[in-house]
Amino acid sequence: MSAAEIECIDVRKVYRKDRIAIPVLDGLNLRIAAGEFVTLMGPSGSGKSTLLHLIGGLDSPTGGSVRVGDAQLERMSERELTAWRSRHVGFIFQMYHLVPVLTAAQNVELPLLLFKMSAAERRERVATALKIVGLSDRTDHRPNQLSGGQEQRVAIARALVTDPDVILADEPTGDLDARTSEEILTLLNLLNTEFGKTILMVTHDPKAAAHGQRTIHLEKGVLERDEVMPRKTVAAASA
Amino acid sequence: MTISYVLMQNLRRNRLRTGLTLVAFALPMAIFVAAISFVVALVELSAASQKELRLAVHQKTTITNMLPEALRRKIEALDPDRQRLTAVCGMRWFGGRVPGEQNTITSLAADADTFPIVYSDTNLTDADVAEWMRERRAAVVGQAVAERYGWKVGDLRTLTSTVPPYLSLEFKIVKIVDNPTRQNFFYFRRDYLQESRKAAGSDDPLCNVFWIKCRSAEALRSLQKDIDATFAHTPDETKSEDENAFAANFIQAAGNIPGLMQAMALVVVVIIALVAGNTMMMSFRERTRELGVFKAIGFPRLRVFIIVLGESLMLALIGALLGVLPTVTMLTLFPLPRLNFGPITQLRISPVAVVGSLIIALAVGIAAGLWPAYQAMRLRTTDALRSVA
Repeated sequence: MSAAEIECIDVRKVYRKDRIAIPVLDGLNLRIAAGEFVTLMGPSGSGKSTLLHLIGGLDSPTGGSVRVGDAQLERMSERELTAWRSRHVGFIFQMYHLVPVLTAAQNVELPLLLFKMSAAERRERVATALKIVGLSDRTDHRPNQLSGGQEQRVAIARALVTDPDVILADEPTGDLDARTSEEILTLLNLLNTEFGKTILMVTHDPKAAAHGQRTIHLEKGVLERDEVMPRKTVAAASA
Repeated sequence: MTISYVLMQNLRRNRLRTGLTLVAFALPMAIFVAAISFVVALVELSAASQKELRLAVHQKTTITNMLPEALRRKIEALDPDRQRLTAVCGMRWFGGRVPGEQNTITSLAADADTFPIVYSDTNLTDADVAEWMRERRAAVVGQAVAERYGWKVGDLRTLTSTVPPYLSLEFKIVKIVDNPTRQNFFYFRRDYLQESRKAAGSDDPLCNVFWIKCRSAEALRSLQKDIDATFAHTPDETKSEDENAFAANFIQAAGNIPGLMQAMALVVVVIIALVAGNTMMMSFRERTRELGVFKAIGFPRLRVFIIVLGESLMLALIGALLGVLPTVTMLTLFPLPRLNFGPITQLRISPVAVVGSLIIALAVGIAAGLWPAYQAMRLRTTDALRSVA
């Protein structure tokens, strides 16, 4: 069980397209405590996904600093970031992004191919991850044999299997119905409360945001509002 | 699970496309391996002929313009001590057909006394030579011809000539030759032909070609020069050439077959490279976001490169094997015994062609996958995750 603190100081990100500078994040400051479940809201283009990518080491800031645990991301090379991601970050995407020709278990096993471990250890880790997300009976199913909710559970198991410090979720319920969304959010809550994972989740849905401890509102690349949420417990969420 | 397992599974993603691409690989590769085997067979035959040190002397303009048989003595007189040549054998085209058949057998009348020396590669034993000399109607037949017509030693067979005066002669088979270079030939005694022609009113002791068995490659080249110089500006002007050059006149009469085959092989390689390249580009574009996910979860650039390139290589190798293995199996079990192209009687798949085709498949796989793999490697993860498949 591990978690990491996240700290962004004066983070700026400017994209360039055909010589035109497009500022996306403009001096953003943010601190997320280890083991916190924070949701990120804001209109399209406010910089939510960009911030998620910077914290996940998928992109580098134009200015400022991003620290996750002990890692100062803006100082790391692409190779170092890639290696760091594989061990410290779990990603969950809106459209699940599972490999369609692999089974649920094989999809979960994918990130472990980067680790030096025995096949037996890999199998054990995959089984544990699938048990946590409640899909022990779907290990040999391919994505097209699973419902949307089940696919997202597999994606969560894939994010979880390396025991990362931070889980970054980009609209994980954006493609799911209300009931399935609730199940997925309950599962994320579980990962936060039971396994102590630091979770940062982008969402447009206030109901989904209510599952976090804090909601950060972004507007035009700056932090507009930082709201502490009344915590919805796992039991309450399940009810 | 291993990366190679993931690659194999990726090939199952679009089964129809993978299947069509494999067929697009397999069919040209089957043709390629057969074509290259044919070229290799020609090269091997050429090397075998080279070893025999035979020089062909024929009329300068064309082989159908014949030379008088007396030329043999004049050629022999150029080397009275037999320092450069062993024997000279005059030959005349008979072009016999088995009655009722359309195929003409490469049948030649040869000087009885020197044929066993000049054509030592027919491996006649002393007993065979004795029989050849004793039996006026003796014939030495290549194995492919004998198998084609079901002939065996001791059989009496009749061939009808396709050239005037269209003689029908009876022959007694005294030897069946299994040397690969002599498979399609039928040799018999020229004195028998000459007597038969004389009886039919054609008393013209002429030869199409004189074959000279030389003692060394240097002797062959020196005789070649001397003979052509001796008969220059005479009514019987000659052209001398080694056996390969002589054979090439016939092979190239049907077009530059080896060149044609090599050109065809090259076209085949280019076509499959284009097909495979197109498939890999399509596959890459469709999976841009998935590759982005691979990068996001920590797959290094080099691994992503290997995944895309590996898929291309696997496709190429499986396609090549699907083309090569059935061709090798088929031609090993049924080696086209009736193939009658010049000296080549059987198309056996050459190991050189098999290894060559697999190397080419690898090269094509690399060429087809290199650009998509490079692009995948350079892909910005954030752009890939936003891309629409």
